[in-house]
Amino acid sequence: MATLESRPEESQSGLPSHPQSALPRIPARTQLAGVAWLRWRIFLNSLRTRRAAGGGWGSLVLAIVLRLILWPVFALWVIGPVFASGYVAWTAIANHRPLWLVSLLAGIWFVWQFIAVGGSNFAASMPTFDPSSLLRFPIPFGRYLLLRCALGLLTPSTVIGCLALFAAAIGIAIADLRLAPMAVLAMGLFALMNIFLARMIGSWLERVLAMRRAREVFGGLFAIAVVSFQFLQLRRPRQPHTNWLFDTATRSAYRFGWLPPGYAADAVLHSGHIAAQLGNLLLLSAWAAAFLAGFAYRLHREYLGEHLSDAVANSPAAVRPKRRSSAETAAEPLTPPRMERPSVLSAMLRKEWLSIRSNTGQLVGLATPLIFVWLMGHGLFGRHPSYLLTAGVGYAILTPMAAVYNVFGPEGAGVQLYLLAPVRMRDVLLAKNIASALLLSAEAALAWIITVKSSSAPIPVLTQLAVLLWLIFVLAINLGLGTLRSIQSPRKFMPGQTRQMRSAPASRTSALLVLGLVSASMLVQIPVTRLSRSLHQPWLPIWVYAVLALAALAGYALMLANVDALVERNRDVLEHELCGV
Amino acid sequence: MAPAIETAALTRRFGEFTAVRDVALRVEPGQFYGFLGPNGAGKSTTIKMLTGLLAPSSGTIAILGQDLTANSPELKRQIGVVPEGLALFGRLTAREYLRFVGRMYGLDRDTTGRRTEELLDFMNLAGEDKKLVTDFSHGMQKKLALAAAVIHGPRVLFLDEPFEGVDAVAAGTLKAMLQRMTAHGVTIFLTSHVLEIVERLCTHIGIIHRGELVAQGSLEELRAGILKPAPPPRPGEAPLAFDAASQRTLEQVFLEIVGADRDGSAGTRAPEELSWLR
Repeated sequence: MATLESRPEESQSGLPSHPQSALPRIPARTQLAGVAWLRWRIFLNSLRTRRAAGGGWGSLVLAIVLRLILWPVFALWVIGPVFASGYVAWTAIANHRPLWLVSLLAGIWFVWQFIAVGGSNFAASMPTFDPSSLLRFPIPFGRYLLLRCALGLLTPSTVIGCLALFAAAIGIAIADLRLAPMAVLAMGLFALMNIFLARMIGSWLERVLAMRRAREVFGGLFAIAVVSFQFLQLRRPRQPHTNWLFDTATRSAYRFGWLPPGYAADAVLHSGHIAAQLGNLLLLSAWAAAFLAGFAYRLHREYLGEHLSDAVANSPAAVRPKRRSSAETAAEPLTPPRMERPSVLSAMLRKEWLSIRSNTGQLVGLATPLIFVWLMGHGLFGRHPSYLLTAGVGYAILTPMAAVYNVFGPEGAGVQLYLLAPVRMRDVLLAKNIASALLLSAEAALAWIITVKSSSAPIPVLTQLAVLLWLIFVLAINLGLGTLRSIQSPRKFMPGQTRQMRSAPASRTSALLVLGLVSASMLVQIPVTRLSRSLHQPWLPIWVYAVLALAALAGYALMLANVDALVERNRDVLEHELCGV
Repeated sequence: MAPAIETAALTRRFGEFTAVRDVALRVEPGQFYGFLGPNGAGKSTTIKMLTGLLAPSSGTIAILGQDLTANSPELKRQIGVVPEGLALFGRLTAREYLRFVGRMYGLDRDTTGRRTEELLDFMNLAGEDKKLVTDFSHGMQKKLALAAAVIHGPRVLFLDEPFEGVDAVAAGTLKAMLQRMTAHGVTIFLTSHVLEIVERLCTHIGIIHRGELVAQGSLEELRAGILKPAPPPRPGEAPLAFDAASQRTLEQVFLEIVGADRDGSAGTRAPEELSWLR
């Protein structure tokens, strides 16, 4: 080790070593630029570490290919609403339909906040840092507030919302050029209000969700909100050529008069009445200021050192086990008990069961798709009973399947126990896969019953048999690939920590892989069914799925036979990603 | 001169549970203060409150004579912290991290750059240019956290288990650095479970147990069995003398204070227990 030539306390420049009076104020520019530089470096470094973190070139290539395929789809999700927003805004002005503009802004308002609340998993998977870690530095509150407003602006809700409002301003300007300045001003202010509101909701949610029970209740409420939206679709009238949802929104637009969308729209629509326009802008600003104040209040509590977690408060008192007498312990055999395979399997299965039982959020997550399955039976697929069963079962297992692709994630550093204990990783993974298969089978069985009950026509036995074989194929192939991904690309998973990077159960690549695989296997049914009908061979789907299921099971068995060697080869990756070694 | 650290009736509750109760600390400038206690006694909670990361439920904290709550940003510039969880930014290199920390503490670019190089060299981290902090060993991360805690030349340094995982050579150099800092008037507040380290480095000790400060004083006072600071000698009265022969080790003192009411603590259990381990 070298010695410090100029010790920090003896330095000639920078801070005085022992200031007796007040220190010069740190310029805001220095700290803000420092945080911007930090964010940039984290982004750059995350690119150069992707190969190491992802577990090899194969993983990197897979990630790139999946992104190349799916980014255009994501782009459509952005481009679609943006163009629609511009078109509706143009129509509202050009065709003198003021309520359309109010409805449009109300829609953007709701969707923006809805995505902001529900999209935390997506944001959480981006390489970033916990902004509250900046609190240990000498940052005045105003700067901290500014940083917290600025950090995370590139989330999907903000990007799509801002682009949609920009498109609306352009649409208004094209329809009537005189409205352009006010449209830009009003839409800009409306965007700012949305950003503050999303921040406020996020910070208060974090306060509430610090309690585990509250997280579970919130998860349930969010699921109910999503399902309720689907019920609206069910209730829609069946007349063709009517946009029921938009008509309903337009009819109820007058309700938004005293809310931000109403003020933003009125600021544009009261053309020629400067006082009214400025008044509306002022009221919109008041809403934005109120949301900023709500956010600032919560942030100030955090700044002062509020502790949110209930972990300490709920620490149970230690229960001391009953001590055994020396005679009892002396009778204990000196050699360790022999570890037998069934005991490893049963111990692992018991552990998995305890994990599932204690995770109410996961149980809520299992119930939600079933409600959708019921809705599907009464909606589009109700008219196609031959496809209904595959669609219902496939949809039900889609979300819980993601967890199969990161089985060690929730255990984090606990994976070291498996690596150190005298157990075969094959047994550990087999037990985890059995637990996953049981859970997915139970979910599939419930979806099956719901689908059969809600189908408008009886589903033939041969179709049901084919779907059973299809399900075996899907489970086997996903369990096999999921196990491989779990070993090669593990990822620490911390449920409930929305500010941290690890709140998504699997990596984006794995999530895309599940989506692609299950969707593709569901789509296979269309040509198989059509071929079966055209050839008048009702047994054809059964043979096809039987062959696929056998191939998938053989592949799974092959993977399982080699899994110990695979774990050994990826030991470093597992320890690095999960244990931080 | 105002004490470097002074608390009065410092209390922190988490719901029904009181983690720290009525703690009255007093640490003079230039003291090397060891803060001891068994696991879960309230050491880290106290440090978090003293560094402004956790608000007290009641009580006051004064750092360098100023109220911490009222002057938080200014006082944070004068303290350095190696926290329990290290709180490093894993996706930066060591150089990038120190550069960022220097800028956040308001050091100019030249000073930040110079001190960064000196500290990296001093901590034997200069050769780790390409490595991200997340890929560092625990000991290397500890050294980096310590470098970040001193880069701005703090007047008060809080160290939570600073030598845990650090190799013997590095630990020796770091101890020398810390002693040099106290010689220059820096106050160091340190927690450690290694009593030998505390005994060798610290001049003053505080012992916290179940959230309460049960002993505080100079090392000699505690060894002599005086658990609270002795009042200053009256004019014309000789200062309290300690009998070296009757003094005990810090470990003995600690076990007497903390171990006395710990039913079945290690070392007091009957030898026949866990006999299957033989």
